[in-house]
Amino acid sequence: MRTTFPSSNQQFRLAKCVFRQVLTLLFFGLTSLGTQAQTLAVYTYDSFVSEWGPGPKLQELFAKRCACEVNFIAAEDGVSILNRLKIEGETTKADVIVGLDNGLMVEAENAGLFQPHTVDTSSLLSKLNWQSNTFVPFDYGYFAFVYNAERVADPADSLQSLLSSNKTLIYQDPRTSTPGQGLLMWMKAVYGKDAGKAWQAMANNTVTVTKGWWEAYSMFLEGAADYVLSYSTSPAYHLVVENKSQFRAAHFNHGHVMQIEIAGISKFSKQQALANKFLQFLISQEAQEVIPVTNWMLPVVDNVALPDAFNRLINPKTIGFTPEQIAEQRKTWIREWRQSATK
Amino acid sequence: MPNSVKPGSENGGKARPNKFMRLGQVLGWCSLAFMSGTTLLAFFGLLNFSGQGFDFGFLQDPYLWQIIEFTFIQAIFSAGLSLLFAWPVALALLHKRDSWHKRIFLSFCILCFVMPTLIVITGLVALLGHQGLVGRWMWEGWNLYGLTGILIAHVYLNFPFAVRCIYLQLQAIPASRWKLARQLKLSRWQRFRYLEWPSAQLVSWLATGFILVLCFNSFAVVLALGGGPQATTLEVAIYQALKYDFNIPEALILAWLQLILAGSLYLLVTTLGQLQWLGNLSQERKPLPSSGKFERLLYNLFYGIAWCVMVAPLIALLPKIFSQPLTENFWQAIVTPTMTSLVLAALATTIALGLAYLVLQPYRIARRLGTTTYIWIDGLASHALVIPAMVLSVGIFVFFIRKIDLDIYGMVFVCIINALVSVPFALSQLKGPLLNYDQSYRHLLSTLKLSRWQRFTVEWQFMKPAIRSATAFVAVLTLGDVAIYSIFGHQDFVTLPWLIYSYASTYRMTEAAMAAILLLIICSTVVAFLEYQRRPRSKKVC
Repeated sequence: MRTTFPSSNQQFRLAKCVFRQVLTLLFFGLTSLGTQAQTLAVYTYDSFVSEWGPGPKLQELFAKRCACEVNFIAAEDGVSILNRLKIEGETTKADVIVGLDNGLMVEAENAGLFQPHTVDTSSLLSKLNWQSNTFVPFDYGYFAFVYNAERVADPADSLQSLLSSNKTLIYQDPRTSTPGQGLLMWMKAVYGKDAGKAWQAMANNTVTVTKGWWEAYSMFLEGAADYVLSYSTSPAYHLVVENKSQFRAAHFNHGHVMQIEIAGISKFSKQQALANKFLQFLISQEAQEVIPVTNWMLPVVDNVALPDAFNRLINPKTIGFTPEQIAEQRKTWIREWRQSATK
Repeated sequence: MPNSVKPGSENGGKARPNKFMRLGQVLGWCSLAFMSGTTLLAFFGLLNFSGQGFDFGFLQDPYLWQIIEFTFIQAIFSAGLSLLFAWPVALALLHKRDSWHKRIFLSFCILCFVMPTLIVITGLVALLGHQGLVGRWMWEGWNLYGLTGILIAHVYLNFPFAVRCIYLQLQAIPASRWKLARQLKLSRWQRFRYLEWPSAQLVSWLATGFILVLCFNSFAVVLALGGGPQATTLEVAIYQALKYDFNIPEALILAWLQLILAGSLYLLVTTLGQLQWLGNLSQERKPLPSSGKFERLLYNLFYGIAWCVMVAPLIALLPKIFSQPLTENFWQAIVTPTMTSLVLAALATTIALGLAYLVLQPYRIARRLGTTTYIWIDGLASHALVIPAMVLSVGIFVFFIRKIDLDIYGMVFVCIINALVSVPFALSQLKGPLLNYDQSYRHLLSTLKLSRWQRFTVEWQFMKPAIRSATAFVAVLTLGDVAIYSIFGHQDFVTLPWLIYSYASTYRMTEAAMAAILLLIICSTVVAFLEYQRRPRSKKVC
């Protein structure tokens, strides 16, 4: 998912500041303009809209198509977006929500906060087997623990070997962050009933649990831990932008959990036409070429030209649960994590 | 002190002051009603959310008990360690001759105690984090996050307070006792056993209790340095239930537990006695028994270490500023939060002081008339001390969440709640001087037939130092608020502490350090002002 890798690259540090100011302007813009047509309010997560994220480029590309304006409003991470939508209820300002994932899909749908879309999804990868008429996928990837090969000589090849090692790790809170939630499923898929014990074991390796992906990744790059929970695609960023090859994703034999990032239209949006147009745009060839090299995830349509670095990524097998199972179990799993990780 | 004047002599047939007083009294009761009303509203909010009751099953969740256990453990350790470190330093201070650095040290103790916690957190990360000045030399497996970091931050914030409390008691030991000790040729241990310890024993326990309560309610430190579910306090759990999980029934249970536990802890501590820590420091040199070379060395060592410990996290901020160039628009980005914080502090302080002063109107009359009403007024006005700010905020948040757009009005609540929780502190600063004033000048004034305005000017002149120091005190408290802001805050109105938090949590230490130093400068200025105002007389807090 994320783009703005908080690396030594100075400029991306600008991003958040710029983004904050944009938001301020935006806020006043929104309140003064009210629901004036041709301004699409999009809720997303923070790294999506940073200067180096897909946000600004997509904004520009879409503006050309529709003679409208896209305003991004950012929360820390995917789960926070959904929480915010729930809190706001019908008072929400959002037209489109970008950045939920397959783990949240059914729960979001059941909360009655979305309306069906009219997007033509026939171009999507058949591998995704996309059925939903409420959400549209815009990228996908696999959760993975990223490490620095200069620090970790023999990377773990499974969750078990990671937990039994004396290496440190940072992950994200599953209550706020989609990678954190991904780990929740991963642990459950691998350990099943024994997940509680596994969480306890993981607590010994854990440096800290952060609220969002950005915080965790920044800390990792500062050298605070040996591993960080991120994506199989994260190394591509370091290869393409920084030309660094020491950051790698650990390939786990038992498989990885796949994340499909999704977008949908708020039930309370009055701009259905424009919102649908935006979703259609998200899966267009044009947008799909932008997303992999800004959000550092894989495209959801075929024939997208990708930098060579993407061929050097791990290609893990998929394990996990259906969105329905996740929706049903998420609360219980979180409770289990909470109880076990505190010990 | 109850006045001996009979109620009958009060009016003396003077219509004007009487009317004035009545107006003051009415306004006073109104502000009391406002304060209690807000609390009631919060309780109403805490009772349920859109018909969802409590989730009592949550009470059986082991997670809950682990949080409670951890909250107690970290609070007990923080308080115990603070006391343990405070004693040697206080003894060293007692035996050190008065000097400029000692005076600065004692003022610095006040600053440490009221300093916005995020400055300390940023400083500690800069010092002991993985890339920190000292942190990088730490042993393998060193981790600032978790209980270690929480304890370090809590001790840093609170032991200077204990030092001051104990030192004030120690220096109040009369000279005659020291002389006696000298004549009896008491050993060092005997002096401690029979002289120093008994005089500061009560205050030690009180300070420990008070620090325990403060750490029990600690929010920012645990949020920033907690490092996940194994180190969560009730206060942070409330925030997480509300903001991470959007699980209001759970948040409500947590809030009630926090209220019951923190509230009774506070009541327990305050029934034991009152703490004096801002009190006057006498410059008089006591005839202390001369200490041996080794003893003096130890004192200097303790004193030196205390200086280093207190300065280190702040000094650690400096190299961070230069470690990397600031982002170009950092200064632009920091202007709005600084202004937001300043405006917020100014407004909240004005409201808090206004409320406190108005509440004192019926209070002073009750005192004058010798009725027991004043106890009620005092209790009502100070009730916010028992209710953690987080609980108050959550209650009000839940009450208003679907009624008004908290995106827009959230900041109004940040301001009002900050003001409400500061009223007791303002009261404690203003009460004494105002009663003093009444006792000394009321008779004289009533014979002078002054106009309303003249009376007001006289009172203002008398009260000015107290008002100023109350202002400074409340302003610093409000400037450092994180808990209330975390509930109502909005991304378009970021305050300076929250900005520091977001920088520090994404490890942008250069920016975090710079913003922390800015906040530190603002707060030190205010504390310097407070110290300056406080000189003439002593005051009590809590």
